[in-house]
Amino acid sequence: MAMAMDDTAHEQQMLVQWCMAAQVFTESEFRQAIQRTYCTEEEEDTEEIQPVIEQINSSMSAFSLELRSCMDQTSGIRNWALVNTNADTISTGATPYTASELVTLKTLVEGVFTEKMGNYSLSLHEALRMATKRNGTVAGTLTRAETESLIRKFCADGWLATDPDGGYVVLGARSIIELQSFFNVGFADYIRLCSLCKEMATSGIMCMECMEAVHPYCANRLASASGNQLTCPACNKHIEQPRKFGPGERGIPHIVESVAGSVRGDSVGLDEPATQSIKKLRIEDSSDDEE
Amino acid sequence: MEEDSQASGRYAIDLVRYALACHASGKPIKREGIKAQVLATSSIRSARTVHERANELLTQHFGLKMVALPSHEKRLTDNTQAPPTQQQAKPVPAATKWVLQSVLKDRAREQLELVQTQEQREVLGFAAMVLSLVFVSNMSVSMDQLVLYVRKLGPPRCVVATGEDTESDSLSDVQMESRAREAIAYLTRHTYLDKVKMSGGGGDAGVSETQATQQQLGDGDHHDEGMVYTWGPKAKTEFQPIDMARFIAAATGQECNDEFVKTIGRAYGSNIAATT
Repeated sequence: MAMAMDDTAHEQQMLVQWCMAAQVFTESEFRQAIQRTYCTEEEEDTEEIQPVIEQINSSMSAFSLELRSCMDQTSGIRNWALVNTNADTISTGATPYTASELVTLKTLVEGVFTEKMGNYSLSLHEALRMATKRNGTVAGTLTRAETESLIRKFCADGWLATDPDGGYVVLGARSIIELQSFFNVGFADYIRLCSLCKEMATSGIMCMECMEAVHPYCANRLASASGNQLTCPACNKHIEQPRKFGPGERGIPHIVESVAGSVRGDSVGLDEPATQSIKKLRIEDSSDDEE
Repeated sequence: MEEDSQASGRYAIDLVRYALACHASGKPIKREGIKAQVLATSSIRSARTVHERANELLTQHFGLKMVALPSHEKRLTDNTQAPPTQQQAKPVPAATKWVLQSVLKDRAREQLELVQTQEQREVLGFAAMVLSLVFVSNMSVSMDQLVLYVRKLGPPRCVVATGEDTESDSLSDVQMESRAREAIAYLTRHTYLDKVKMSGGGGDAGVSETQATQQQLGDGDHHDEGMVYTWGPKAKTEFQPIDMARFIAAATGQECNDEFVKTIGRAYGSNIAATT
C-alpha cells in the first residue's frame, strides 16, 4: 500500500478520532477508514493494517489507550476497539451511563459470565428479572419496560448482544474486548479459552477428553482442513460427539472458586479482586446423572 | 526545575486522559474535576502550564483541543445583542468548563465519515434546524414562535421524553404542543438553547404575545413572560455562523455563495466570515 507518509501525524489524528467515534468496529470498517484517510483505493491484506495499528498503539500507550480486538466466535469477523488499559479513577469516569445504569450493566455482565450451566447466556426473561431485581446498593428498581429499553441500549453500545434467534442475552464484542482485566481478576475460574486461537470462548464445543474448548468458527476451520473430521487441537483426540455450550445449548458447568459460605453470583466490584478465603465448589449438572 | 517539568508532563498526560474521559461521558471538563482528579496531589504552581501542555498533547496525538465553554447568556437587549463570536469590551471571566473540539479541517472530517448513531444524527439535525431559526431571527426567538416552529418541524422521538411511536397527524393539538415544549426543554437542558430575559422594547411585545397565546391555550404558566431563546454554550461551541449559512443553503437548496452569505449575515445582524 502506498501510504502518504509525509502527513503521518495528521492521518493518525484522523484515524484516532474515527476510532473514538466508532467505539467498536470490524476490521473491514477499519480498513475502509484507513483507505479514506490515506486516500488509497487498493484492497489491503490483513498484514498491511498491522503497521497502522502498531503506530497508533505506540502513540496511545502514554495515555493508557490501546487498540484491541476479539474475533466473532461464529463468523470469524474480527472486531476492534480503542480501550483504556488503566482502570483508575480517571478512566472509570469515561462512561455515558448513570450510576444506576452501570450497576445494572455490571449485574447483567456478571450474570451472563457466571451462568451456572456454562453457556455464558441468559434467557431474555432471566436477564429482565435479574436487572429488575438488581443486586446492588443503588436505591430503586427498574420497571420491566425500562429494563428492556436499557438492555437494548447496552446491546446498541456493544456491551451485550442477543443471539440470532433473539431469545438469549450474551456478551457483546465490547465487553469481551474491554473487560478482559475485569474477568481475569474476579472471574478467572469461569474463563474458557479456545484451544486453537487462544481467545476467550463463550460459545463453542468442548472436548470431553481434555475439557478444552473450541470456537464454532475454529471448529469449522479444523473440520474443513481435515475432511470433516474434528480433532481436538489440545489433545489430538477425535471429537466424536461434540458437547456444545452457548446460548440455547445444554452447556458444560463450571468448576469455580467461591467466597467461603456464600453462593456464587454475588456482585464483585470491578476494581475489587477476590481476596477473601476461598473453597472449591462444583456446580452439578443434573443432566450428567442421567448419562 | 527539571523535576517540575517532569511532573508537569505527567499531570498533562493525566489531564489528557481526564479530558477524553469527560468527552466519552458527554460531560464538560470542569475546573473542580481537574483539581480533584488530576492535580489533587500536585505541587505544581501553575495549572495553566499543565493545561497548555495537555492541549499540545491533545492536538499532536488526537487532533483535538480543549476550548472554553461559553457561559450561559443571562440577558439580551434589543440593540446590544452581540453575535457570540465577537469579543466583548467587558472583562471575560476565567473559564471553568471546557469541551474537546476537533482541530481537523472540515474537509478531513468529511473525508473520515465519522460514525454517528441514529439518535446522534437526529438530535444534531433537529438542533441545527432550531438553531438556524434563532440565527436568522437576530439570535432571539420568543417561546411562542419557537413552539410553533418546532410543532411544524415535528421533533424526533429521542428528544421527547413521553414520545410514543405516533405519527403527528394522529396527535391532538395539546399533545403536539406538549411534545414541542418537551423538545425545546431538551435543547435547553443540553445547552443548545438558553432561555433569557429580554429587556427593552422588543421584550414588551414578546410579553404581550406570550400572554395572549397562553390565554388562548388556557395555560396558567407565565414563566415565559419577557423570556426569549437564544443560542446556548453548546451551540456556540459546535456551530459557527458560516456553518449556519451552509446549513440553511443546503436545507433550502440554494448555493452558498458570497451573496447568500451576505443575505444570511444581514438576518444574523453581522457579517459572517468563512473561517475554514
